[in-house]
Amino acid sequence: MPITYLIVPFAPLIGALATGLFGWAMGRRLSHWVATGSVAVSLVASWLVFQDVLAGHTYNANLYTWMHVGGVEFAVGFLIDPLSALMMLVVSFVSLMVHIYTIGYMADDAGYKRFFSYISLFTFSMLMLVMSNNFLQLFFGWEAVGLLSYLLIGFWYTRPTAIYANLKAFLVNRVGDFGFILGIAMVLAYFGSLDYATVFQRAPMYTQVTVSLFPGHPWSLLTVVCLLLFVGAMGKSAQMPLHVWLPDSMEGPTPISALIHAATMVTAGIFMVARMSPLFELSDTALAAVMAVGGLTALLMGLLGIVQNDIKRVVAYSTLSQLGYMTAALGASAYSVAIFHLMTHAFFKALLFLAAGSVIIALHHEQDIRKMGGLYKYMPITWITFLIGSLALIGTPFFSGFYSKDSILEAVHASNLGVAQWVYPMLEAGVFVTAFYSFRLYFLVFHGRERFHDLLHGQMPQESPWVVTIPLLALAAPSLAIGYMTIGPLLYGSYFGNSIYVADTHPALADMAQHFQGAVAMALHAPVTPVFWLAAAGVALAWWLYLVRTDLPEKISRRLSWLYAVLVAKYGFDEFNDWFFARGARLLAGGLWRRGDVTVIDNWLVNGAARAVGAASRLLRHFQTGYIYHYALAMLVGAFALVTLFTRLAG
Amino acid sequence: MISLPPLAYADLQPLLPELFLLAMAGIILLLDTALSPANRYVSYLLTLATLAGCTWLTLPHLGAAPATALYGMFIEDPLAAVSKLVLYIAVAATLTYARDYLKERNLYRGEFFVLALFALLGMMVMISAYHFLMLYLGLELMSLSLYALVALQRDSAAASEAAMKYFVLGAIASGMLLYGMSMIYGVTGTLYLGQMRSVLQMGAFPSLPLVFGLVFLVAGMAFKLGVVPFHMWVPDVYEGAPTAVTLFLGSAPKLAALVFVLRVLVWGLEPLFIDWQQMLIVLAILSMAIGNITAIAQTNLKRMLAYSTIAHMGFMLLGVLAADRVGYGAALFYAIAYLIMSLAAFGMILLLSRAGFESDRLEDFKGLNARSPWLAFLMLLTMFSMAGIPPTVGFYAKLAVLEAVVNQGYVWIAVAAVMFSLIGAFYYLRVVKLMYFDAPEQSSEISAGADVRLVLSVNGLALLLLGILPAPLMNLCLYALKASL
Amino acid sequence: MNFQAALFYFFAAILLGAGLRVIIARNPVHAALYLVLAFFSAASLWMLLEAEFLAIVLVLVYVGAVMVLFLFVVMMLDIDPDRLRQNVWRYLPVALPVALLIAVEMVLILGARYFAAAPAPAPLPAGYSNTKALGEVLYTQYVYAFEVAAVILLAAIVAAIALTMRRRKDSKYIDPARQVRVHKEDRLRVLKMKVSRYGEEMHDHDAPHGGADAASSSGER
Repeated sequence: MPITYLIVPFAPLIGALATGLFGWAMGRRLSHWVATGSVAVSLVASWLVFQDVLAGHTYNANLYTWMHVGGVEFAVGFLIDPLSALMMLVVSFVSLMVHIYTIGYMADDAGYKRFFSYISLFTFSMLMLVMSNNFLQLFFGWEAVGLLSYLLIGFWYTRPTAIYANLKAFLVNRVGDFGFILGIAMVLAYFGSLDYATVFQRAPMYTQVTVSLFPGHPWSLLTVVCLLLFVGAMGKSAQMPLHVWLPDSMEGPTPISALIHAATMVTAGIFMVARMSPLFELSDTALAAVMAVGGLTALLMGLLGIVQNDIKRVVAYSTLSQLGYMTAALGASAYSVAIFHLMTHAFFKALLFLAAGSVIIALHHEQDIRKMGGLYKYMPITWITFLIGSLALIGTPFFSGFYSKDSILEAVHASNLGVAQWVYPMLEAGVFVTAFYSFRLYFLVFHGRERFHDLLHGQMPQESPWVVTIPLLALAAPSLAIGYMTIGPLLYGSYFGNSIYVADTHPALADMAQHFQGAVAMALHAPVTPVFWLAAAGVALAWWLYLVRTDLPEKISRRLSWLYAVLVAKYGFDEFNDWFFARGARLLAGGLWRRGDVTVIDNWLVNGAARAVGAASRLLRHFQTGYIYHYALAMLVGAFALVTLFTRLAG
Repeated sequence: MISLPPLAYADLQPLLPELFLLAMAGIILLLDTALSPANRYVSYLLTLATLAGCTWLTLPHLGAAPATALYGMFIEDPLAAVSKLVLYIAVAATLTYARDYLKERNLYRGEFFVLALFALLGMMVMISAYHFLMLYLGLELMSLSLYALVALQRDSAAASEAAMKYFVLGAIASGMLLYGMSMIYGVTGTLYLGQMRSVLQMGAFPSLPLVFGLVFLVAGMAFKLGVVPFHMWVPDVYEGAPTAVTLFLGSAPKLAALVFVLRVLVWGLEPLFIDWQQMLIVLAILSMAIGNITAIAQTNLKRMLAYSTIAHMGFMLLGVLAADRVGYGAALFYAIAYLIMSLAAFGMILLLSRAGFESDRLEDFKGLNARSPWLAFLMLLTMFSMAGIPPTVGFYAKLAVLEAVVNQGYVWIAVAAVMFSLIGAFYYLRVVKLMYFDAPEQSSEISAGADVRLVLSVNGLALLLLGILPAPLMNLCLYALKASL
Repeated sequence: MNFQAALFYFFAAILLGAGLRVIIARNPVHAALYLVLAFFSAASLWMLLEAEFLAIVLVLVYVGAVMVLFLFVVMMLDIDPDRLRQNVWRYLPVALPVALLIAVEMVLILGARYFAAAPAPAPLPAGYSNTKALGEVLYTQYVYAFEVAAVILLAAIVAAIALTMRRRKDSKYIDPARQVRVHKEDRLRVLKMKVSRYGEEMHDHDAPHGGADAASSSGER
């Protein structure tokens, strides 16, 4: 089986190297075949691994020892258990769909082969991340996906906005990664290992250990570790206040938005916390913080989706909001629910992005929803699949999103953490908001007055080619049904087994299991819950405002101009960051540069040392006279000196 | 009198690679006289075939338990097998890189191949020596061939001068070595390494004459490694010799010299390690300091690399002075890594040179990126590796050696080594700066055969690959030491 | 002190004296002759050690062959002793103290303390063949060293030839082997020519320039 495990990540790596290094010789057709084929191989291998795991086989071993330093082993290894097997399947499936989609979407782009190389390499990195059995490999994968995200956001590197966006993503992720690596460093320092199994096994012995970051304020070690690791997750999974990079990342090509910024990379944080469940379970404080951050993100980011007019940005804010839901579920110790939502979300959000991309192609790269409308007549497949995605997103009974999102709400409701009573209403409000912005988008794009005629100069929009619609259909199927099919085994069955650990003190999921009577019953029960009606109200309001009384939104925004201004300004995070961090850091750095760098370091230390070395170098050079007898003399004198020195030492 | 059993074929079996090499060298020598210059490639191909044959004959020894042969004069163990295999590859790469350069300078003659093979034979004799006499004879065979190779370009005054210096100073060093050996013999009463070791372990010998002999032994070996204060020949010979010979000189013999040092100090004189450890510390620190600092002032790349060699050899000795299996393994790893780097660096000079143009000044590398991004990238890898920047193999080699030293409690040596490496990084990175940020002075096409480009690419990428995945080679080195000692 | 010891000191003294003179003799020919003397003394010392074969080989090979060659070379070269001497005097102030220091140190460190003389070996029987004993170890125990030494000599020959043998560009030397191997076709070309009478037009289309001249010029090639 290890061979199959190896194939999963390394097939895309080979594809990436082939297209990256030899793309110039292979041409476009061969390049996309190689890249797509390699990911297809990876998907098949993932499927085999998944079946193997279902049969009860897990695997945890180091494949290659990179080095030993001071008793710590740095290794490359795989941990194949239900959690990673599920992630592998999701990653390789969505990646394959995106590869196929890219053939159509990027058809006219000059960087075609480069793009394929990047996304295959991304797939490799992401798979290495989820398959890791130790913190070091996790970190490497983490940084590699970050790097590729950076490269892909700035894929169109001649656009200033894209450069700004990828720099922003890079910097914000640096903040998160800094916390993350501090967390890993503390794990190494206290537990003496980077291996998951060893660390998890030792962790319970450290519950009473405290660290004093400031003298006189002892904090629980595990809380500090978990919070630091969670800072990493906040960066990667775009939780407030480190979310600011994700909306801007929409500058990248749409397939990237689907693959990296919706389905896979941004969920790495969620995955990581779920993987670390044995650590997080030991710290209620950390869990409460996780839940609070998740709840705030879920509601506040959803609200921003209402005022956006860029089709991709609406979906991006929706992603932020959904990531908030997942995080909240993690806080409620419902790790399996978070992963469940991660999976369903990967499908329907990738679907929404790809469908949005399909619309964008049809309208010649126009992304403003105010210039769309009535597209359902021209793009039937895109329309239907987008509708399926939206229905899944808002949690319509029987759709996949319904099961996962309802489970999250229940889990938070059942959580025994104090903060849950505040988070639960936020999440409920979020349901209404989600429904409202989703259907606002849907109605504005596909129904109502056709506002695109100026763009197309009288032509009619065309349905996209098959390479675009096939992935849409392939993603629509799981968006519809995967929740219904898998909720039983994933949440209430024994699927995850030992890969996720929930302490007895956090019984939320166990409580839910007692009330669960099957997927059909859960859906039929929906109409008697307030959540269902909140969603329905959101849809109805969107219908009323954007199809019936199209004059109202304008008036409302004028009446509530202060609220509108706050939302359009995205709560002022960007301005604050620019003003405080960016400008402040520049001022500070400028001061340090002039005083510290130029004067002390450059002038005294660096140049001084360099001058000293240079002088020594010129001096020593003179000993190299070129005369044989000088050299012979030097040898003799050297031998003489050594003899004198060592015979004296020896006695 | 002594009645020894006569030699049987089985006694010669461990020597098969050496015998094959010698036979082929003779055949090439004879055949070459009958070849017209246009058919000289036959000698070249035969030489490569010889190396391939030796590889095939040596491979079975890799897993064999250590065994002596020829009345205990010869030892075959995994260390010897690993070193020999690496040497074959190094010599093959050297000949490939050197081909065009030699042709352009009318040095492409049978003697070059034959002398190179004789030098290789000398190294193999050294590596498998289990007796002071064989160590010395192997060393002389190698040195003699190298002297002749350096002088082969007779019309060049610089080459003749370099050969003269190398020869005279080498003779002095040989004298010191022999003197040291005779002292050790005088005290221990044996020339066999194994006996020497056991005798030293058992008996309490007066330390003074031993230390006295040891100093001269170490001095002689230090000359071959090119370690301060026995390093003066290195820059002059590296610069003066034809670059193809410099490449040969700067790669394979360094590994052979390390094994020589290990055979003498570990196989023979390990009980005296407290004494030689101190000597190596002095030599290593001096080499790293003087090598790295003086390299900065150089404008000739060959000369710069010569000083860099001095520094690297000092660094490598750190692994030996750790005086344990891990340290020796690290030193072996370092030597192999250095070999690969050295091949890449000189190979690049050879590839860029052409008739009448040596391409060995630093200025010649200006703007290489604009002329050939791929070659510039390979050179970048080489320079990074020499400077010890991750993820190249140079970094890992330095790390392994430093770890071995720190484990022995010599933290201050490790700190000093890192400081000198930092100084060293300057001149390596200067080459990178010239390649990427300066405008090219040369604009001519880079003419090089596809096979040379391919070998150089593999060579350069090996630096990266071994840096990312060092474990197989490291394990091989550790295995060679553990299975041999 | 018995007779043997007296002989040893006698020859040893001559050896050292001759060795010193090799270095400091003004005339290189004298220096070479002192070297011959040194070899003779060394051979005598080996005789004392009952190493007759080695002693005779030393005389035969070094004195008989090598030194004669050496003398030829020295006599043929025009060496100016005074010019050589300049360098010696220039470096003596540095070299002498270093040499003295090393010598003094060696004496101080080593002395005779550590090398207790081994008990004198029992006298060998009358019919004992030194040569045979040498041959026995040379072709058994030291056969490997012996062969490697042979390879070193081979390498030295190759190196010497490679370094010294060169074909001078202005040499008029003709290789007999190449002369012998020459075929008629290489040198001579027979041309079919139209029979023509003197005075007729020469520029026929199939005849080369110069007519009869062409044949002779191709012959010279």
